[in-house]
Amino acid sequence: MTQAISLTVNGRSYELAVPPDTPLLTVLRNDLELNGPKYGCGLGECGACSVLIDGMAARACVLPVSVAVGHEILTLEGLASEGRLDPVQRAFIEAQAAQCGYCLNGMIISVRALLNHTPRPSSAQLRAALEYNLCRCGTHVEILEAASRAVAINAAESPEAPHE
Amino acid sequence: MSDRQPPSSRAEPTELPAPLASPKRFGVAVRPPHYAWNGEHFVSDRLVAVDRASVAGLPGRIEVVIEGDFVGVVADSLDAAQNAARRLRLEWRAPSHAGQGDHDQVPLETGARSRELAAGHGEAASAHCHDYGWPSRLRWGDAPGWVVADCSDQRLMLWGETITPEALIHDLMTLTGLPAERIELYGTTPARVSGLGRHCGDDAAVDAAVMSRQLACSVAVWLDATYTRDVHALGQAQRITLSADLAESGDIADYRYHQAHASGDIAAVGLWLCGRPPIRRTEASGTPPFAPYAFSNVQLATRRDDHGAGRHSESLAEIQQAFARESFLDEVAHESGQDPLALRLRHLDDVRGVELITSVSQRARWGEALSSAASTSPDRLRGRGFAYSQLPDRHQRIPEGVRSAWIADVEVNRITGDVTLTRLVVGQDAGPEVDTDRLQQTLQARVLGSARPLLGRDPAFDEWGDGSKDDKNVDPTPGGVLVTRTDMPTKESADAEATASLLQPLDDVNLAPGVAVIANALFDATGVRFRQPPFTAGRVRQALHDQTDSLQEETPGRPTKRPGRRWLKAAALTAVAGTAIMAWPWKGAITPINRPAANLYSAETIERGRLVAAAGDCAACHTAEGGQENAGGRAFDTPFGTLYSTNLTPDEETGIGRWSYAAFERAMRHGISRDGKHLYPAFPYTAFAKISDADMQALYAYLMAQPAVSAETPANALSFPFNFRPLMAGWNALYHDPNPFEPDPGQSDLYNRGAYLAEGLGHCSACHSPRNAMGAEQRGEHSLAGAMVDGWEAPPLNRLSRSPIPWSETSLYDYLRHGASSLHGVASGPMAPVVAGLGELPEYDVRALAHYVAVQMDAPAGDSETVRADAAVRIATAQSGPAGMEEGERLFEGACASCHMENGTPSFTSAQTSLALNTNLHSQHPDNVIQSILGGVHADHVPGLGNMPGFADSFSDSQVVTLTAYLRARFAPDQAPWRNIESRVTTIRQHNNSPSPHP
Repeated sequence: MTQAISLTVNGRSYELAVPPDTPLLTVLRNDLELNGPKYGCGLGECGACSVLIDGMAARACVLPVSVAVGHEILTLEGLASEGRLDPVQRAFIEAQAAQCGYCLNGMIISVRALLNHTPRPSSAQLRAALEYNLCRCGTHVEILEAASRAVAINAAESPEAPHE
Repeated sequence: MSDRQPPSSRAEPTELPAPLASPKRFGVAVRPPHYAWNGEHFVSDRLVAVDRASVAGLPGRIEVVIEGDFVGVVADSLDAAQNAARRLRLEWRAPSHAGQGDHDQVPLETGARSRELAAGHGEAASAHCHDYGWPSRLRWGDAPGWVVADCSDQRLMLWGETITPEALIHDLMTLTGLPAERIELYGTTPARVSGLGRHCGDDAAVDAAVMSRQLACSVAVWLDATYTRDVHALGQAQRITLSADLAESGDIADYRYHQAHASGDIAAVGLWLCGRPPIRRTEASGTPPFAPYAFSNVQLATRRDDHGAGRHSESLAEIQQAFARESFLDEVAHESGQDPLALRLRHLDDVRGVELITSVSQRARWGEALSSAASTSPDRLRGRGFAYSQLPDRHQRIPEGVRSAWIADVEVNRITGDVTLTRLVVGQDAGPEVDTDRLQQTLQARVLGSARPLLGRDPAFDEWGDGSKDDKNVDPTPGGVLVTRTDMPTKESADAEATASLLQPLDDVNLAPGVAVIANALFDATGVRFRQPPFTAGRVRQALHDQTDSLQEETPGRPTKRPGRRWLKAAALTAVAGTAIMAWPWKGAITPINRPAANLYSAETIERGRLVAAAGDCAACHTAEGGQENAGGRAFDTPFGTLYSTNLTPDEETGIGRWSYAAFERAMRHGISRDGKHLYPAFPYTAFAKISDADMQALYAYLMAQPAVSAETPANALSFPFNFRPLMAGWNALYHDPNPFEPDPGQSDLYNRGAYLAEGLGHCSACHSPRNAMGAEQRGEHSLAGAMVDGWEAPPLNRLSRSPIPWSETSLYDYLRHGASSLHGVASGPMAPVVAGLGELPEYDVRALAHYVAVQMDAPAGDSETVRADAAVRIATAQSGPAGMEEGERLFEGACASCHMENGTPSFTSAQTSLALNTNLHSQHPDNVIQSILGGVHADHVPGLGNMPGFADSFSDSQVVTLTAYLRARFAPDQAPWRNIESRVTTIRQHNNSPSPHP
């Protein structure tokens, strides 16, 4: 049974007619053609599908679209602002942290979520934040390096860090 | 399975004195190798020596209680006492006079023994002679349970279920020398006092009292199937021999009655072993055997009881006598080819009695053959029996005493031996000044109370095990009786008596024919004569088996069944003064109507009805997976087979469009469909009966105003005998109280509103109360005590709640209103749509529900700091996993931790409540955890809650088992590991593979 659903994604409003228990990921990729979030395990285990909801990481493959109603959804496509990529995206490009790249959406979103919550994370906090993002190419060392770089760039570009 | 917690958790603590509520010492009685009641004496091995050293080395404080030949072992726990009892070395010597007075016991079932008399013996055409027996103990008990005694010089307090409190008190008086008023019994349910005889609860009680008395502290004894030994050892309590000669005319010319004992009541085993033979009470002179019939030559004899078999029980003796006499007359009638009812009538010269029997036989349609509608299965035997008695009226209201005529229909499952009492018509001439309502109620309570032990559980070890066995097949609870108000000319208040204690045995209710009527109906059904109760499934099965064997040997052995019942057909129905008749409620169809116009009801009424429907959550059951709302067809797996919900939309062909309000209300309150068919109680009419009239009308208005959907629902697939809808009428009489909700004036409005919603519309108990073997919700202390429903556990909503953090009214409100509580987690499984339905309800109603449930749980208003601190400690403790469960750890970290463990960054999709607070992980049953892993958690009905995916397709069975065990160890470290995970995983997988509720 389809239902009228209003979603706010990357700052734009969408009116959709979908079954309310459709996973958000399906709606993003199929209906809105936003393919930054990837379909990985489909069980919320790997993190490839991550998006930001109200600034927090969310696993879009296990989230019914109806639950996202009324929240701000941000996908990888929406991270850039004013024509400039997000510091985390830039750090990952600079570090060339990808092997196959499938997990990178999740890595970037998770680091972004961490920085939203903890602008100056320790390296232990960084590792913890990425603990449940799986990379099956084994590129963890490069990814952690990219993440550290992202922390540095972020700190440099937002000197007045919000109070933690 | 069996709950071995002390009674404090099972009884109202306010009622129970502290020594009984929390006994510190636990006792086990050690019986001699050989002991028996031989019909005359109690004989047992004599205790020669006790080797106390054999238990001296055991841990804990072990005490050995010796009194005469009674041996008891008392320790700090039941396990310790049982262990010590096994190790205790005792030396016994066989009694010197063994075998003295050995009576051969009455054969339980024998073929017809009537013998043709030699020619020349007067004018007697035939002679008949049979023996009837009565067991000393009907069974060992109902279910395993505690019996606790606290005995001092001053008084004796006892907690435990007895069905013969009078006899027990007398035994305890004999034991202690205390007067009756110093003996306090707790835990006895008056409704269960059937008057039919004792069970081993009394033996356990005396055991506990002996030990408590010697040790001067309270002692708890565990009553379980080990007491079956006492049942066998005590054997038969009464034996009655009846013989009669018949004249050519068929009249009984000579009637001889011989009763072996004045009373048929054997004292508790412990009393005998202590060497305290029961004292006969002075007034015990023995009930003179009395036959209401006029035979030309009568010889009645009762043996004098010099050996003091036990206290005299008037009512029990009367029931025993009536059983023997009425069974015998039935046999004589069958053997001489007469109608059993006609045979009685021709020997009855009492006008009132004749009128009563005539009236009852009319009511029961005695002369007509049993309805063959349901007798399609050759394995189901049906039979009908009659019995009558007349007892002296102890209130002297009616000259010549209380008359009672019974007609019972039974159905016997030839395969299982289960006996179902399918119909009972009881007529009682109770005199002109009696409250007929109360009489009907009392009769009903007593009839059901008496039928239970008769047909109920089998006291055999193999049938019952230690009580932990699933008793689904062992409790062929009878169908029953329902009161109809027929001819009741007088109605006078008898308030003083209405409050009289039910402990008074059989005051003005004559139950005496109750046993014989079942035996006679059983004979009619099976051709097997049971000359001793009880008629448990095991005995019936054995008898049927023996009968089949003997039939193969000699073909003409089976007695002719059911000679004509035409005798009474012409008799007119006359109203007998003060007769209460209980009759089978054959329900007719209610005339169909045209569908009411949608604008018949006001918008306000329809809106009210919408809320009623939301509170009742009709759609949760009446909507198939992916189907149209309320169009029915959702499948329900029950222990009795698969049921499908019906179409509730006002479609005229397939829905309820042609149902009048009267038909609708009857279905809601009584579980009877418009066409007169009984509905199954998966439809919780037992709860809906509590709905107020205004709400019921509004609900009807709302449903009738919805769009009609044409949708046929699949036929139910129930297993025999549950596919026999009329059985439900008996079920209803037993378990259904159709009275609307009555507020408790002693409670607040909020509480009463909550109780109305919870007990009625909300039908909480439909899932959260355990059901008995017949699928009826258990009440009293078992109410809301938790149950398994459709593969999920509905956790206890009373004091038995196993939630790691105790619920508070606030957390209950959060859970019911928002679908989640921070200290308990989310509503999931079948509860999720319930919470979604509650979303429609006004604030006050949800508060009222939370308040009511909080009272049942004894929960505080809010969550204290202590509780929150405890929660924090539990969460912290579970931060790391247990050692040695690496595989479980890997599974958890890979599949679960991303949402279930904090990693320092808040996530929109992670679980908000730590698994360390999860009730399911702390339950006795792993089912909900397994269900959640396999099928996920789907709370999408509740706004703002996420979903957990199911892992059925990505985990193997063994991975689910490993993970479940790991979760238990890590998040519920204070709970014992589950033992049955593997089998539960297999079962739940199979169950979910049928129509999966969550694809």
